[in-house]
Amino acid sequence: MSATVGGHSLDLACPPDDVTAVHTFLASVWDAEPTVASEDRMALELALVELTSNVIEHGAGGNGVSCSLRLDVGADAVEADLTDDGVPVPIDPSDARLPDALAESGRGLALVQMVVDDLRYERVADRNRWTVRRSLTRG
Amino acid sequence: MDIVVHEADTDVAVLECSGRLNIVSAPTFRETVAQVVTGGRPKVVVELSTVEFMDSSGLGALVGCLKTARQAGGDLRIAAPSDQVEMVLKLSNMDKILRTYPDGDAAVSDWG
Repeated sequence: MSATVGGHSLDLACPPDDVTAVHTFLASVWDAEPTVASEDRMALELALVELTSNVIEHGAGGNGVSCSLRLDVGADAVEADLTDDGVPVPIDPSDARLPDALAESGRGLALVQMVVDDLRYERVADRNRWTVRRSLTRG
Repeated sequence: MDIVVHEADTDVAVLECSGRLNIVSAPTFRETVAQVVTGGRPKVVVELSTVEFMDSSGLGALVGCLKTARQAGGDLRIAAPSDQVEMVLKLSNMDKILRTYPDGDAAVSDWG
């Protein structure tokens, strides 16, 4: 695992890394970006931990998965992308819907969609790439 | 995450949780509730005031534990969700499935 807070990037090798590293990384990003409101922090942490959890759970073959998270905090919005070397994802994120109330899984992408303004998935050069954008709340 | 089990009544347990309820901690949370229910306390209150983060893995664990408790003749209630937990409960509409109380005592005493 390696993290660069100035450039807001984090590289993970899972296992042994897991989403704990994403939580820790985001805490350091918010320390460096004090103008991001708590509502935006909560939304982005949820979105990025959900996406990373999906990558670790579904993208990992027998040898695990490596992924990179990059965050760009602008004046009006935060853009983030998560790339990984896992298997392709047969999913259209715009189809994500909440499952039945008593389902025990399947809520992740639907929640991500609710807390970001844009969510995209693409397969680029043998890697999966998830991109999210959230306009920042102005107090 | 840390979980402290309080045996509040003969058939009621309050689980005081802190930290994160996510893909890392969800299995431990499920096991702890299963042990509490199997041990004779199917009425379970999950106190979440110091849970700083919950995601869909945590929600899934709560739903699974709700089923476990109901199958044993009990139920599962939420007490004192933090702002982040409340946000996730509302977004997922689970605030309509998981009864929420302002604190652990209120959830316990409502069982009478």
